[in-house]
Amino acid sequence: MRLGKKLLLAFCIVLVTAGFAMAADVVKIGVYLPVTGGNAVGGQLELDGVKLAHQEMPEILGKKVELIVIDNKSDKVEAANAVKRLVERDKVNAIIGTYGSSLAMAGGEIAEQAKIPMVGTSCTNPLVTQGKKYVFRVCFIDPFQGAGAAAFALGDLKAKTAAILIEVTEDYSVGLASFFERSFKKDGGQVVAKLNYQKGDQDFTAQLTEIISKNPDVLYIPANFAEGAIIMRQASELGAKFKVLGGDAMDNPEIVSIGGKSVEGFSFTTFAYAPEMPNMNAIAKKFTDNWAKAFPGKQPNALSAVAYDSYMLIMDAIKRANSDDPEKITAALAATKDFPGVTGNTTINATHDAEKSVGIMQIKDGKRIFLTIVDPK
Amino acid sequence: MKHSTKIILNIALIACFGVFLFWAQGNLDGYKVQILNLIAVNTILALSLNLIYGYTGMFSLGHAGFMAIGAYVCAILILPAAQKEMMYILEPVIWPFSVMHAPFFAAVLAAGLVAALLGLLIALPVLRLGGDYLGIATLGFAEIIRIVFTNITPITNGALGLKGIPAYANLPWNFFWCILTIYVIVKLLSSNFGNCLRAIRDDEVAAKAMGINTFRCKAISFAVGAFFAGVGGALMGSLITTIDPKMFNFQLTFNILMIVVVGGLGSITGSVIGAVVITILLEWLRFVEYTVEIGSFVIPGVPGMRMVIFSLVLLLIILYRREGIIGGYEFSWDDLVKRVNARRGRK
Repeated sequence: MRLGKKLLLAFCIVLVTAGFAMAADVVKIGVYLPVTGGNAVGGQLELDGVKLAHQEMPEILGKKVELIVIDNKSDKVEAANAVKRLVERDKVNAIIGTYGSSLAMAGGEIAEQAKIPMVGTSCTNPLVTQGKKYVFRVCFIDPFQGAGAAAFALGDLKAKTAAILIEVTEDYSVGLASFFERSFKKDGGQVVAKLNYQKGDQDFTAQLTEIISKNPDVLYIPANFAEGAIIMRQASELGAKFKVLGGDAMDNPEIVSIGGKSVEGFSFTTFAYAPEMPNMNAIAKKFTDNWAKAFPGKQPNALSAVAYDSYMLIMDAIKRANSDDPEKITAALAATKDFPGVTGNTTINATHDAEKSVGIMQIKDGKRIFLTIVDPK
Repeated sequence: MKHSTKIILNIALIACFGVFLFWAQGNLDGYKVQILNLIAVNTILALSLNLIYGYTGMFSLGHAGFMAIGAYVCAILILPAAQKEMMYILEPVIWPFSVMHAPFFAAVLAAGLVAALLGLLIALPVLRLGGDYLGIATLGFAEIIRIVFTNITPITNGALGLKGIPAYANLPWNFFWCILTIYVIVKLLSSNFGNCLRAIRDDEVAAKAMGINTFRCKAISFAVGAFFAGVGGALMGSLITTIDPKMFNFQLTFNILMIVVVGGLGSITGSVIGAVVITILLEWLRFVEYTVEIGSFVIPGVPGMRMVIFSLVLLLIILYRREGIIGGYEFSWDDLVKRVNARRGRK
C-alpha cells in the first residue's frame, strides 16, 4: 500500500504540473464543441474544420493564435461551464461554438454576460442570437433553411402536397419542421400529414403507413442522419412513392451506408459546400485540397466548412479591427459584409445571423452530389 | 456538550461560511463561482435523493422528473412577459402562463411545492411497490414528465425549451437554499419521524409490526424529497438560464444517484462531500484533455479522456470504499470534540 500511495502522489504531481501552460503574447480563441456524447459526430467534424483553419492561419497581427478546445459533452450544464472556463480562466479573446442550438444557447448567455464575442458554427435555431449583442453565427437560420426546402419542393420537385415527420424531442427538428410548414403553405402547398417520433426510435412503420395512405408528393424529414436513413429504408420497404427531403443534419456520408439503395434520390438543404460540388469558389477549393492533406481518408462536409469559416471570420474581424480587444472584435463582426468563405459569402445582418445561400444536395449512385443553390426570400 | 453550545457553534460555522461566500463573490473569478453554485445545487439534489433512497430505502429513479417540474414552474414564473412573447416561436404561449409572474423566492418555493404535490400524487399508487419495481415505476414517471413537457408546446415551448431565464440564482440564494435543505433534513431525521424512516429502511415488516404507519411515513419522505428536487431543478434552471426537456433525461437522475452513492448512502455529510468532490473533479479533470508538451515530447489531448479517468476514480472509490467516501459517518460537534481530545490524549 505504501508504494501505491507514493505512486499515486507522483501521479498527482505530474498531473498538476502538466496542468500549467506557458503564457506569452498570444491571441486566444476558445472552442467549445460536443466532441463526446450524443452530438459527437458533428462536433468532431467541426473541430477538424477549426483545426485546419488554425493550421492555415496560425498568426494574426503578428501574434500567435492559440486554440483552446473544450469538450461540452453534448450537455447544457457542461456547455455553460465550458464557456465560463474559457472566458474566466483562459481569458480568450473570442469563442467559436457550437454544434447544437440548445448548447449554443447555454453558452451564448455566458459569453454575453462576459462581453466576449462568440461565433456559432451550425446552431441554426433563431433563438440562439435573439436579443444578444455578442453572439453571432456563420450559418443561416432555420426559418431561412425551411423556406429554402419549401421553395425547392414546390419548384424543382413540383410538389403540391407534403407530409412532415418530426423528431419531437429535438429542438432542431421541431423548429425546422414548423418553418418548412409555414413557407410551404404560404407558397400554395398543402401539408397533408404531420407525425412525430422520438430520438432513438428504430421502427417508423406506423407513421410511414399513415403517411403513405395520404399519398403526399414529398416527405420532409428534418431528422438526424441515423434516424433519417432508417426512415428512408423503411419507407422504401413499404413501397413509398414520394420523394424525401431533409435538412443539414442529414449531411453526413453515413446515410448511404445505413440507408443503402433506399436513400437514392434523397435531397437535403445544407450549407453551400460539398467536396464534390462543381465550380466551387477558390476558397472552397483550397479548403478541400488542404483537408485532403491534413486528414487523409476523412471526408469533409458542410459542418467542417462552416466551422472553418467561423475561425476565418474571427481572424478577418481581428484584422479589420486591427486589435484583439473583444469589444472591437464584436464591432467588426457586426459590420461583416460579403466575407468570402468556403460556404459562400457571409454578411452578418441586424440579428447577427449570416445571410447566405442554401445549398441543395442529392444522393445519386450512392454519392452526394451538389444540385443547386436556392436563395429564399 | 451542551445544546446551547452546539447552536452557537452551528451559527458560528454558518457565519464563517457566509464570510467565505462574501469573499468568494468578490474575489473568485466567475468560473470558480459557477462551480461553487453547482456544488450548492448538487448538494440540494443529492440530499433530497438521499432522504428518499438512503434513509427511507425507497429506490427512486424519478428525480429528473421532479427537477423538470421545478425548473419549468420556476422559469415560467420568473420569465418576463416580453421574453415569453418573443421566445414561443412555434405556438404562442397561452394564458395564464403568459402573464404569470412571481418574485424569485416565491417562484422557487412554488417550484418545490408543485414538485412535492406531484410527488405525493405519484406516491399514492407507486409506493405500494418495493425495491426494484419502485425504481422502474418512478423512472417511468420521470419519462412521462419529460414527454409531456415536450408535447405541451403552448406552455413549455416544446423541444425548443426556454431561454433567457433571469439569472437570479447567485451564490447567496443557492447557499441559502442549500443550508435550508440541510437544516430541514437534519431536523427531520433527528426527530422521531427520522427513526421511523430508518426502521422502515431496515425492515418494513418489522416497522409495521411496531405500529408505524409505514405508508404515511414513506409518502411524506417521498414528498419532502420531491420538494427539494424541485427546488434544485428551479435553481439549476436559473443558474444556466436555459432549460429544455432533453436535459432532464434519466442520465441526470443517475448523476445524482452517483453523488449519493459515492458520498455514502444514508449520510448527510456524505452527500455534501460527494457533491463537492464530484462537481470539482469533473471540472478539474479537464486538463487531461489538453495537449501536453514535456520538453520536445508532445502528448496530444484526447477528447473524452476526462470521462475515462473520472470513471476510473469512481470505480476505485466503489471498490475500496463501498460505503462511500466517508462511509456512513455523520459529522457532529460531539464527535469532533471526542476526536480532538483523543488526539491530545495520545500526545
